[in-house]
Amino acid sequence: MAEGRPYAWSNAWFRWSVVSLVVLTVACFLVGFVVLPSAQRDFTAAGLWAAICRAAGLPANWGVAPPAEDRAHSTAVVLSAAMGARGANDAVGRGATIAVQQCSMCHGAQGATDANAPNLAGQYPEVVIKQLLDYKHGARGGAFMQTLARNLSDQNIDDIARYYDSLPKARTAPARYDQTSAPALVRVGAPLRNIAPCIGCHGGTDHKFGAPWLEGMPKEYLVVQLKDFRTGDRHNDSHAQMRNMTRQMTDAEIERVADFYARREKSEQ
Amino acid sequence: MLRARKLVLAHFWVAFAGFLLAIVLGEWQMYVRSPLHAWVNNPEHYYRSVTAHGTVMAYVLPTLVAMGFGYAITELSLKQPLIGVRWAWAGFGLVVGGTVVAAGTIASGHASVLYTFYPPMLASAFYYIGVVLVVVGSWIWVALMSVNLRAWRKAHPGATVPLAMFGNVTGAYLWAWTSVGAAVEVLVLILPAALGFKDTIDAGLSRVLFSWTLHAIVYFWLMPAYIAFYTIVPRAIGGRLYSDTMGRVAFVLFLVFSMPIGLHHVFADPQVGAGFKFVHAAMTAMVSVPTLLTVFTITASVEIAGRLRGGVGVIGWIKALPWDNPMMLALTFSFVMLGFGGAGGLINMSYQLNESIHNTQWVTGHFHLIFGGAIVIMYFMIAYELWPQLVQCAPLPQGLVKTQLWLWFVGMLVLSMPWHLVGLLGMPRRMAYYDYSDAALQPQAWTVIASTFGGLLLVVSAFLFVYVLARARRAGDAAARPFTFSMTAHPGERTPALLNTFGLWVAMMIGLTVVNYGYPIAQLAMLKDTAVPAIRIGGP
Repeated sequence: MAEGRPYAWSNAWFRWSVVSLVVLTVACFLVGFVVLPSAQRDFTAAGLWAAICRAAGLPANWGVAPPAEDRAHSTAVVLSAAMGARGANDAVGRGATIAVQQCSMCHGAQGATDANAPNLAGQYPEVVIKQLLDYKHGARGGAFMQTLARNLSDQNIDDIARYYDSLPKARTAPARYDQTSAPALVRVGAPLRNIAPCIGCHGGTDHKFGAPWLEGMPKEYLVVQLKDFRTGDRHNDSHAQMRNMTRQMTDAEIERVADFYARREKSEQ
Repeated sequence: MLRARKLVLAHFWVAFAGFLLAIVLGEWQMYVRSPLHAWVNNPEHYYRSVTAHGTVMAYVLPTLVAMGFGYAITELSLKQPLIGVRWAWAGFGLVVGGTVVAAGTIASGHASVLYTFYPPMLASAFYYIGVVLVVVGSWIWVALMSVNLRAWRKAHPGATVPLAMFGNVTGAYLWAWTSVGAAVEVLVLILPAALGFKDTIDAGLSRVLFSWTLHAIVYFWLMPAYIAFYTIVPRAIGGRLYSDTMGRVAFVLFLVFSMPIGLHHVFADPQVGAGFKFVHAAMTAMVSVPTLLTVFTITASVEIAGRLRGGVGVIGWIKALPWDNPMMLALTFSFVMLGFGGAGGLINMSYQLNESIHNTQWVTGHFHLIFGGAIVIMYFMIAYELWPQLVQCAPLPQGLVKTQLWLWFVGMLVLSMPWHLVGLLGMPRRMAYYDYSDAALQPQAWTVIASTFGGLLLVVSAFLFVYVLARARRAGDAAARPFTFSMTAHPGERTPALLNTFGLWVAMMIGLTVVNYGYPIAQLAMLKDTAVPAIRIGGP
């Protein structure tokens, strides 16, 4: 049989439970917000209240934008799912008109060429949009491309992306990436050096939104880009993912990976 | 007399079928990343398997066992027919339907985000919808437990709620509040992005909300095992429960303290203040109190059994214990694993010590030992205990049962001890392969092989478990003896009124959650520009 009125201050169980919990909580907060910060000079430099705020996780520069030069090191473009959508016929048509006039000299009339400019045929539209916007706003360097992109409206850029998306890819991916067909770095990366496999993002096991289609890209172009990422000369990868991947890659590995993506299948030779 | 037999059996069979599938996946994972196998050519397959293993083992198995056991406890301890059987079937349907939807999405490769979701990774919306259905189904169970207890109280004014039902309802209320964190994360942050309405997600806030669920869910998993400790073990080994009140104290302490402590899962996250991390660490230490109370009380109850069997002296009662009784064996194994796992847990919750094992295989070892070991071995015993009631069969073959328990115990230690060791050496978790040819890793290669064989023992044990249950045949009503719970050592013991109710404890649980989580969540929700681009897994 249960006895007594449960929720009354006169009930010792009630009294002790509430008091103990309150005392425990207050003690925990005192230690966490006052005592421990007092042992850290960077917490206490601006006084007790500032120390408490810091322990609570209040940002020191609440509401203040990070310095502008930090932003210039990466990109301001945020990819949206709409960028990856297939374009309507009129968008493709407008894009084709602009592309033939302004892009075909280097990138080929059908988006592929033997020159060392990247193949754009069948490239994902969000990739083309992001790179053109980055050129336009200076996040990606390149005298030609920056000049050309500066004169393109956002609508022009969107249309160009739709046009290239509508073309057949330079080359489709192999059915399977295995030991005989692909270098280890492409298939499995190098776990001890924090290098993820290429096919984890660029197609193969998964394609991450915003990662370009690489199959059939010119080798020279790939080598230059990978080395630029490695030195940080190219820095428009939003999460620094390519800078992190390439930092540990040797010249020989860059050659091998570029060789793989630029290889010619027997049928193409 | 158990009337809702089909209902409970349905819960258990689906739980154990999923368990079998998930354990085979787990063993495959151990094998492909061990030196016995070449690097898995497609790491995505590995993460797909980990997602399925985690989703079934962490969400589906314990939820269904807690629900099925809860329905059985309601009838067996309150001695009244279950109210709301149709609702219970509806809840079961939601859990099964949700499991099928989530499992299908995982199998198709569109949800390899692991069961902890990890935004900004984003799976197909169907995966999250499946998980939400599982949770909603379990909320029906929560409501039914409350309704049934209320009806019983009405019929028995002033009477003390049986301990088994008290623990059961504690588990239900704990789960209801625990699941709110992940539910908010999924509904407010993840689903809008997964459904394509947004392209960014606030990963920091998501992780804090998930931590709300992530730690307390462990205590929801643990509740059926603790109910079995208190209300089945003493009876099964011929002893008496040393203290009924201590059981209630342990249950309500879990209710109050298991919830507002989850930030110790994000010690390495920069978006949460150090002060709050300390408070959560300190309060995590408090959850060891109900566990230590339980170990003390159950050991005392076991001592009573030893002395009733003629054991004398300081050690003599241990020798007199019924060591050939499967329950005695299971309890011992469970406590050994709880001891190791609990000691490891104290390291995980320490703000500084955590740094040395954060995100290493140590953590994998820890939760396999605690959950897969100490808790799941008691799930086995719950099934074995209830089976004669559920299928009205003769007692299960004790030899096979003991073999199964031994295999599980040895297998779990061989699996998880090497993980602890290499975790200390810095081996990261969630890796599809390791480069054993590297001089730094080569000396650790044997540990992964050892774990693979430990896992193999677990697979054999799991199949043996299901075999024992499946071969039990109906032998008529007379076969099953009436089910009883443990008697207490002090039958006249008066239960303090507060330990017969939930109001204060639920209020403390909610109040402490608001104090410990309110500011971090509000701050992160109000901060601008905290969302990051979502990364869709399995293609856009």
